Amino acid sequence: MRQLRNGVFSLNGREWSLLVACILAIIVFSVASPYYATSGNAGTVLRNSIELLLVGLGMMLLLAMGGIDVSVGVVMGLAAIGVGRALGAGVDPVLTAFVGPLTGALLGLLTAAVIVLGRVPAIVGTLGLLGVYRTAIFVLLGGQWLSGLPTGLTLLLGTTILGLPVAAWVIALAYLAVWIALRRTPFGLHLLAIGNSEEKARLSGIPVVKIRFATFIVSGALTGLAATFYVANYRNVEMTVGSTLALDAIAAVVLGGTSILGGRCSLVGTVLGVLLLRILQNGLLLTGVPSLWQPVVTGSLLIGVLGFEVLSNRLSLSRLGWASK
Amino acid sequence: MLKHIRKALAISALSLAVSTAAFAQDKPKVAFVPQLIGIPYFNAMEAGGNRAAKELGVDFIYSGPVDTNPVDQLQIVQNLIDQGVNAISVSVLDASSIAPVVEAAKAKGIKLFTSDSDAPDSGRAVYVAQATDEGLGNTIIDELVKRVGEDAKIGIVSGEATASNLNAWIGFMQKQAAAKYPKLKLLEPQYAGGTAERAAQISGDLMAANPDIKAIIAVASTTCPGVAQAIETAGKIGSVIGAGYCSPNTARSYLKSGAFGFTVLWDPAQLGYLTVWAGKQLIDGKAFEAENKVPGFDNPVTYDATKGILLLGPPAVFTAENVDKFDF
Amino acid sequence: MNRIRKLQGPALILALLALLWIIVILVLLVLKPSVFSLGTVTTILQFSTILALVALGQAIVILAGGAGIDLSVGGIVSLSAIAGMLAMKLGLPSFLLPPACIIAGAALGAFNGVLVTKLSILPLIATLGTFFVYSGLALALTGGAAQSGVPSWLLIWGRGVFSGIPVPFLTIAIPVFAIAGIVLMWTAWGRWIYAMGFNERSARLVGIPVDRARLILYSLSGVLSGAAALISLAWLGSGRPNIGQNLELESLTAAMLGGIAILGGRGGVGGVFAAVMLLVTLKTGLLQLNVNTVWQVGIVGALLVFVLLADRLSQNWR
Repeated sequence: MRQLRNGVFSLNGREWSLLVACILAIIVFSVASPYYATSGNAGTVLRNSIELLLVGLGMMLLLAMGGIDVSVGVVMGLAAIGVGRALGAGVDPVLTAFVGPLTGALLGLLTAAVIVLGRVPAIVGTLGLLGVYRTAIFVLLGGQWLSGLPTGLTLLLGTTILGLPVAAWVIALAYLAVWIALRRTPFGLHLLAIGNSEEKARLSGIPVVKIRFATFIVSGALTGLAATFYVANYRNVEMTVGSTLALDAIAAVVLGGTSILGGRCSLVGTVLGVLLLRILQNGLLLTGVPSLWQPVVTGSLLIGVLGFEVLSNRLSLSRLGWASK
Repeated sequence: MLKHIRKALAISALSLAVSTAAFAQDKPKVAFVPQLIGIPYFNAMEAGGNRAAKELGVDFIYSGPVDTNPVDQLQIVQNLIDQGVNAISVSVLDASSIAPVVEAAKAKGIKLFTSDSDAPDSGRAVYVAQATDEGLGNTIIDELVKRVGEDAKIGIVSGEATASNLNAWIGFMQKQAAAKYPKLKLLEPQYAGGTAERAAQISGDLMAANPDIKAIIAVASTTCPGVAQAIETAGKIGSVIGAGYCSPNTARSYLKSGAFGFTVLWDPAQLGYLTVWAGKQLIDGKAFEAENKVPGFDNPVTYDATKGILLLGPPAVFTAENVDKFDF
Repeated sequence: MNRIRKLQGPALILALLALLWIIVILVLLVLKPSVFSLGTVTTILQFSTILALVALGQAIVILAGGAGIDLSVGGIVSLSAIAGMLAMKLGLPSFLLPPACIIAGAALGAFNGVLVTKLSILPLIATLGTFFVYSGLALALTGGAAQSGVPSWLLIWGRGVFSGIPVPFLTIAIPVFAIAGIVLMWTAWGRWIYAMGFNERSARLVGIPVDRARLILYSLSGVLSGAAALISLAWLGSGRPNIGQNLELESLTAAMLGGIAILGGRGGVGGVFAAVMLLVTLKTGLLQLNVNTVWQVGIVGALLVFVLLADRLSQNWR
């Protein structure tokens, strides 16, 4: 367990290689395009990462617990409708900011009720819920997008505190809170224990049901928080909101070194995974590669990084004389 | 399982005999299959279609796919054919894959025609066009040149890479630029799929990659909010203008903030009305004249017999000044 | 081994699906008797062919366990269709188009298999990666443009109907399901697959070549997707770079609905077939009743959750 928990903070092999990859990509793109290394572009990359950073954090917790949620995209959509409606109705922007996480948490509760109480596999259960939530989005919007929403929330979240935008503070706080929960509270130990083996966790007296509920709710709340930023950023809610978000989030988190089998997660890795994806997407477009190639790059990166790690592990093992199993 | 299937098939075969006799209809039925449901543009077409149905005495069916997936669209059309709807209009997602249902419709004597997006060589009865693809492509380029000059750099952000009508518009934009404004530089089109978020991301990247960019064209209506928002967020209002094919309601706040210079569109409700009217004409077996009087239309609707195109009229250009006069 | 086959789950699921299917048909019968004609049957079968093949591939991969799943099936369908058409443009004789699609599918599937067995990347992640790569490549190579030029003799096969049954369904889907059913039920191969899924450790201990078998199964899933791609070409008359869109989720839904246990080792192809039929009949029925299509995704999702819960409850009772 100690070894598992170490992975949460100090940089491990994967995190180092991601960091190096990020820096390498930045250097290559800076050479290739004169417009790459500008503060404006850095801002663009970071702004584009906001939603994925938050949703990815929730997804990381779920994966670490041996769960998964393929419906996060539509959950963000539903939460965005909540925020948009509140904003459109003239609710105070400070209050509307909380509508997102609240809606998300409620949906997380609903998801957990089906997955945990019904004891169905998370991947299939959330696939079913994905369909249900999608219909809910269609019915709630009824073909009328929420367009041209008031700027209150945008202005509120666009302000800077001590020179940093609100989004940066919120994301930093979210990561700090999760870090503390994982490091300083029994929640973290329990979560990783469930990820390692739910059966053993149950036998050793860990409140499995409670922890699993809590994780789904936290992930929902983080996804809802992303929805708040989405609405503030785009002032528009259309019915396709977040349609590619779930797969992107899983890719980024796994890239960051979190295992989908559970029991292992990495906060730094998640941040680096999201950033690497966004840096590559942005950089490729800046160097003139058509946007249609972006999924190809995402996929190759995923396969490449994981495959490389396996091969290099094997190589180092055999070099040490611990050859084949 | 097989036993169950066999039993059920037997039941259904039995019911067939009963049902064919019971099948009787009062009003003729006209259907419209959009590319995608749940977007304001097609909703407005639906509203226009409903109005026409009431006035012309037909039943109007509106049914479309939830994703821009041509197979789902085919399935919907096929089911309308099986239902025996008298006339079916389709806003075609992919011109090349509509052929099987055109054949099926012909076999059952059903009028299948296109509206909003065409499949020229498919054997469809007529194409109800909002404007010619050429007119749409040219208008946006001409209007942009008026605002940014002839030697500007312009980006294009489209929706699905596979949408044949959007690709046709882009083709005419490029043609017009090459023929009339040789100094104009149109960047390669980028595709955002159906989401505003991706459109914003791509537009932001385009502006970073081309600091001298003067305008971005949002081709699909789903990309308009994203493009406009990216221009606002990048603080480039005034130096970059957005333009596109989106409804006044979607673009209103962006037109007013200056992120969008103008949008080009027609009245989709009118197009919906015209679609149902054309379906009624086809069912009644009336031929289209070179100029047709359509109830509720100020100007006669022209028909191009060689191409089989019924034309709504020239597209309208919406700007910050006139946008408040429209609500769709 | 007998214990495995006597599990109640698949039989229960099958009965449940059959019941649901009959309910759907009865409801339709009452609400809209005009629906029932040979034409409707043809339509249903026509739109199930592609899903049925892909769902079968998905099912056997999951059945063999090891957290098996294939998220790339939709990408394989798109990319094999495009690869076939592009190869023809580059001078491949048109009579070689069918084998070209199948081989492309097999190769793409085998690549998944290599990632899973040789590199031991978890299937969910490996095929998520190839999902991005395959579906992205299909779009990027063509710029999104549909590829026309399918030979006309292929269209005759793809659009043909023989006594109400679409020819591709008759000549590919039915034989393939029959073979898969027979292999799984009555051959040593079938027992190996169940054994691998049921308990991989003991399967290895009794000498089943688990890795090789799994590699073959991923390739087979690719072959089935390649066949689906071929059918899409022959039916639509053009190669579409996004023809496989959403198939990964739909096939997963069909396999799960059909009673394949996500952890492997449990379920049969009969259930998958029934689930595909139920899904397409349900969709058709809702369309015939002119129910707004937005309800389709929700109803299918709710159905999936319902069947999972029913399966779980039945296990608790035993």
